[in-house]
Amino acid sequence: MNPDCLWLLLAPPALGFLVNGLMGRRLPASITAAVALAAVGLPLAVALGFLLEMTAAPPEARVVATSLYTWLSDGDFQVRVGLLLDPLAMVMSLVVLGIGFLIHIYSVGYMEGDVGYRRFFAYMNLFVFFMLLLVLADNLVLTFCGWEGVGLCSYLLIGFWHERKSACDAGRKAFIVNRVGDFGFILGILLTITAFQTVDYGELAEIAATAPGDASPIIALMVLLIFMGAMGKSAQFPLHVWLPDAMEGPTPVSALIHGATMVNAGVYLMCRLSPLLNRCPEVLLVIAVLGLVTALYAALAALGQRDLKRILAYSTISQIGFMFVAVGSGMYALGIFHLVTHGIFKGLLFLAAGAVIHTLGGEQDLGRMGGLFREIPAVAVAFLAGLLALAGVFPLAGFFSKDAILWGGFQRFGASFWIVSLSGALLTALYCGKLFGVFFGPRRDEGPPHRPGALLIWPPAVLALGALIAGVLGLPMFAQDTLLSRFLGFASPAVASGQGHELEVIMTVFQGMVIPAFLAASAYLFVRRRRRMEELERAFPRAAAFLADGFGLDKLNALLLATPLRGAARFSARIIDNRIIDGAVNGVGWAAMRAGRLLALLQTGELRHYALSILAGAVALLGAALYAAGIF
Amino acid sequence: MTLYHFLGLGLLLFAIGAAGFVIRNNAVVLLLCIEIMLNAVNLILASFARYLYGAEGQIFIFIIMTVAAAEAAVGLGIVIALHRGHGTLAMNRIKDLKG
Repeated sequence: MNPDCLWLLLAPPALGFLVNGLMGRRLPASITAAVALAAVGLPLAVALGFLLEMTAAPPEARVVATSLYTWLSDGDFQVRVGLLLDPLAMVMSLVVLGIGFLIHIYSVGYMEGDVGYRRFFAYMNLFVFFMLLLVLADNLVLTFCGWEGVGLCSYLLIGFWHERKSACDAGRKAFIVNRVGDFGFILGILLTITAFQTVDYGELAEIAATAPGDASPIIALMVLLIFMGAMGKSAQFPLHVWLPDAMEGPTPVSALIHGATMVNAGVYLMCRLSPLLNRCPEVLLVIAVLGLVTALYAALAALGQRDLKRILAYSTISQIGFMFVAVGSGMYALGIFHLVTHGIFKGLLFLAAGAVIHTLGGEQDLGRMGGLFREIPAVAVAFLAGLLALAGVFPLAGFFSKDAILWGGFQRFGASFWIVSLSGALLTALYCGKLFGVFFGPRRDEGPPHRPGALLIWPPAVLALGALIAGVLGLPMFAQDTLLSRFLGFASPAVASGQGHELEVIMTVFQGMVIPAFLAASAYLFVRRRRRMEELERAFPRAAAFLADGFGLDKLNALLLATPLRGAARFSARIIDNRIIDGAVNGVGWAAMRAGRLLALLQTGELRHYALSILAGAVALLGAALYAAGIF
Repeated sequence: MTLYHFLGLGLLLFAIGAAGFVIRNNAVVLLLCIEIMLNAVNLILASFARYLYGAEGQIFIFIIMTVAAAEAAVGLGIVIALHRGHGTLAMNRIKDLKG
């Protein structure tokens, strides 16, 4: 493995962005698409080459690292622009490039005829570049650069159709909410620099291994602050509010950025910092509990959504919550496993949803979707495969990862934790069942369907194949070392494993039966008894609206944050700026003018007044001189 | 006849001139008042020169007389211009100095 080739992963998307971004107008659309595809395809080929060599190498030789140049240097403290391709970065890069490549192909068809065709591909390539930078960076600062870069691309692509106000608002919301998280991330980086004088992942891992016990609180605070950034980017409660609105962007964007890759960056970052995390079990507990709360909350909110893409958005939030449960249980490989499987089937679901929306001519309202199976069977099969994988039905990808996460949580935090996470999984099955109504039952749309072209069908079909077989990575079941975790080779905190294998097998079988049962029941209700369900929803309009608004969190934010901030801004604009600052400036002018007007009264134009005042002045001066001379 | 008699007369003359300048209304009279004040000063200078047996005071008198002559010429010119411009020499009617 040649470290000098690492830049080959980063350069093509950057070049693609430059070519399409700077010269896009002069190129025909077909060349734009070819450039954009090549910009993702080339690094994918390079990454696959690295993967082949990496799997052949012994575990300790599976790291490729290179330092391009030193960016900042201050005494001993240095920030290098260095790339690091270890198994973790490898897996993540493959997710980004593999799913990204398919989504680029899909976009060629989906965005056809759009005014912003070239702009779209320029942004997409830029996103891939920043995402790879985030993944391949060998230190926190460089990761942060990629982190902010993907945030920027997310903002640009959410607001891609900028003539729509809701899209612009959604983009801004995503940007601002992410700032809140990134504020914590920056503080965490600064704390790392002050405490340990390094931001390099390798050196941080060494420090985590060798630092004395009293350094643990600092490490915990550091990781907690960085986790705040992860919460923002990965849309964890309560910083998740931007993700459902982010669905305003084009569907391929939702698939790539807000389903499969960028929103997982938080999970990736936490795994990167796993040596530090292992030292602070309290932080792990915080992460696990927050992930669990998010998983449960978002699954409930997903159940109440009426928009096809918003269900998927809440489902993404919920599934990332499960990933954080795995990370919080100290099972990083498991978190990455779920990240991979989720990336595949969520990318698939979004792409297939895009094809459904295309078929209905832009309709996203679930209430107007029904019985589409006969119209678009290929898309429907892919979508249903994605749903089964999401719900966690054997033997699809989601089954393996979710089952292992539930077991991991049980092992580490006990039965009550398991019950809550199982209810999260059951809710997942419920909202998956709701989406069956899109394909079965009577038709609900009017007018002839626009059948999607091959470019809209094949990428989801390939991903569906992935969703079918990605579970292989989690084999063998019931073992500490699965295929993926052996490749990743994480060190996990020691778990007191009191429960035996039998319990794990029993629980897996139990979950493997109860989840499909829930899915089937829900699918029955939402296909056969759909009218009843809708009547039920209408009977409790406030409860339904509460669920649809995600528990009214937006309103709460508006009440708790926006209203006081707006009030403070108004106070500062109207009172502090207008009255105090402008008042001081205008007051000086006003006072000078009034004083001038007062003095002008002395200028009467009467000669005798002037003469008298001269005389009086002379007398006064004389008197003063005499007084000073001591004559008076 | 002591120095004080001369000084007293000078002060009296100056006071008459100053009071006249303030009280009287006619521009020509104002010029006369100025002359009175200047001459009061001349008288005082001459008295001191005599008292101190010095020549400086007398030299000052000549300078002041020259200035007074020039001032009278310019002043009368202004008075004529005022009369042409305003048709009157009553100072309470002329307020050109008001800014």
